[in-house]
Amino acid sequence: MQIFIQTFIGGVSLGAIYALVALGFSLVYRTMGLVNFSHGNVVMIGAYIASTFYLSAKLPFALAMVIALGVTGLIGAIIERVLRPLENKDFDLMLIGTIGFGIVLEALAILIWGATGHAVRSPVPAAPLDIAGIKIRTYDLVVLAIATAATLLLMLFLQRSKRGAAMQAVAMDHEAATAVGIHVGRSNAIAFMLGAALAALAGGLVGPLLYVNPTMGGTLGIKGFAGAILGGFGSIPGAIVGGIAIGVLDSFAAGHFQGYSELVTFVVFTVIIMIRPTGVFGERTVNRA
Amino acid sequence: MSPSVRSRLAIVGIAAVLALVGCSTPGSDTGSGGKNTTGPIKIALVDAQSGQLSSLGAWELKGARLAVDEWNKAGGINGRQIQLDVFDDQGDPTVGTNMARKISSEGYIAMLGTAESAVTIAMAPILQQAKIPNITSGQSPGLVAQKSPFLFLNGPTSTTYDETLAKYIVDTKGIKSIAMITNNGSFGKGEHDAFLKALQARSVTPVADQVVTTDQKEFSAALTAIRQKNPAVIFLGAEEVESGLIVKQARDLGIKAIFAGAAPQGTPVFRDTAGAAAVEGTLVSTPYLSNDLNDMTRKFAAAYQSAFGEEAELHGAKAYDGAQVLLKALKASNVATGKELADAIRATKHDGLLGSFAFDETGVGIFATVIGTITNGKLVPVS
Repeated sequence: MQIFIQTFIGGVSLGAIYALVALGFSLVYRTMGLVNFSHGNVVMIGAYIASTFYLSAKLPFALAMVIALGVTGLIGAIIERVLRPLENKDFDLMLIGTIGFGIVLEALAILIWGATGHAVRSPVPAAPLDIAGIKIRTYDLVVLAIATAATLLLMLFLQRSKRGAAMQAVAMDHEAATAVGIHVGRSNAIAFMLGAALAALAGGLVGPLLYVNPTMGGTLGIKGFAGAILGGFGSIPGAIVGGIAIGVLDSFAAGHFQGYSELVTFVVFTVIIMIRPTGVFGERTVNRA
Repeated sequence: MSPSVRSRLAIVGIAAVLALVGCSTPGSDTGSGGKNTTGPIKIALVDAQSGQLSSLGAWELKGARLAVDEWNKAGGINGRQIQLDVFDDQGDPTVGTNMARKISSEGYIAMLGTAESAVTIAMAPILQQAKIPNITSGQSPGLVAQKSPFLFLNGPTSTTYDETLAKYIVDTKGIKSIAMITNNGSFGKGEHDAFLKALQARSVTPVADQVVTTDQKEFSAALTAIRQKNPAVIFLGAEEVESGLIVKQARDLGIKAIFAGAAPQGTPVFRDTAGAAAVEGTLVSTPYLSNDLNDMTRKFAAAYQSAFGEEAELHGAKAYDGAQVLLKALKASNVATGKELADAIRATKHDGLLGSFAFDETGVGIFATVIGTITNGKLVPVS
């Protein structure tokens, strides 16, 4: 029982990070119908910026995070601006374009920070909580709280603000949205910026849990993407549920199948997707460029 | 694929075919030695410069670069400068085999690297066929099993590391309650098998034997299972970052046991990933205990520090020694190539940072490690 609960907690802690990554994937997808393959690399850039300002410039962790969010948001806007001429013209080229941006970002990180990477000390040095032998890291609680807050803010923005409503409209029918005077390009840019900022949030938060290096985006990107698909691609609550589910699934697979855990995680994932292709919360498939 | 890339590939392909044809011509062995007696001596360094194993590749490059620069500053070999060119294998065996063909077609006479046994094993048959001697930083027993007369190791194999470690833990300290956590990559698998064999030879069965994947980030399940067995020592068989994450998470879970391992556990990356307090007391089996061993290591560490602005560690020292052995052999053989150079490397006796190199027919030159322990964040000899 102790192993079960501890494994579950471990899974939720990394699952919260996957959820944030999934959220970024889903936000861009629901707005543009585009999978941003450079998303994992944006996570990595976010982690680097946050950790560099935190460690080298000795800024408070929260401030370093804010800077990272801003800079990556800008990167998101640049990616969208470069890809904009292809919008509604060549979907495949846009996809390949995002892959290209991913490679460029990784190369940039190696140029700026080197290939070796660095460890980030935890901004919350308090000892783990001990509840009847179950250990809960205080930092994990911080991560969970921030992830929850980010999700709530995002939903509030999409449902309550005018700009958010415009983005919803573009997601539903971009031609009709254009007809009523909504600037589709701007809406896409905001989706990309918010997506990138969410990636930076995930990256900055995961830094002290893992190790920051130029290739860290690979695994986080794939797991986050799987989380987004599992929850229903394009769905905001789906991304949260899917991300945490992938984290927990991964954690249990590691416990039971050891060296084969990766294989088992993705076999289970495939089976779930075969039974329910639209994911847990998915009702429809967005299909446009 | 763009036309220019395709044509470039075609050129490389044709060059490779030509090189193979060249190799099979009788007498080309001696001919190639005479053909290139002027101009720089071309040595290839193949290592991961990108990807997850790039820290190993970066250290290795620094160590080798330092040795080559020293020789070049002293006038090179027979008046010829040494040209060290870097190839990125991305830690990927498939890329590695392409690199092996590339360096053979481009006329490199020797290769340094790689730091990843799986990549070196993949490259070995091609290098053997092309008669290019290779000094690797890998330590898997699988390298020796290649039985290539052109493959040399710049350090001990896992068998040596783990035998020394098991001897200290079980024989010297009398500890029998040992858990293992290793990954399923080529390095982790080699460590797992070598340490388990060393334990079995002492009739010790590990209380837990957990295997993780090389990409895993979350170890709650494996560590909680280990925690329930309450071992005195936990053996780590994973690369630097993963080992660091395991130790960090183990301490968060309240595991107080001592960790023990080989080369990766002696690196700053391991220490920084886990946090200095978490790794305190970790036992490390290493052929290069510290930069403060003797005058030679102090000189090396100072040169490394001034050249690259960072603290030298085992992998850089190994690569430095490997490069020194190669350069000594080149000098002794009057810049021979192919089989002659391989024989010269095998005959080279070198007092290096890791100890005295004397190669046997398996290509291993160093057969001893010592046990150190991490005290106040630094690796010191066990008392």
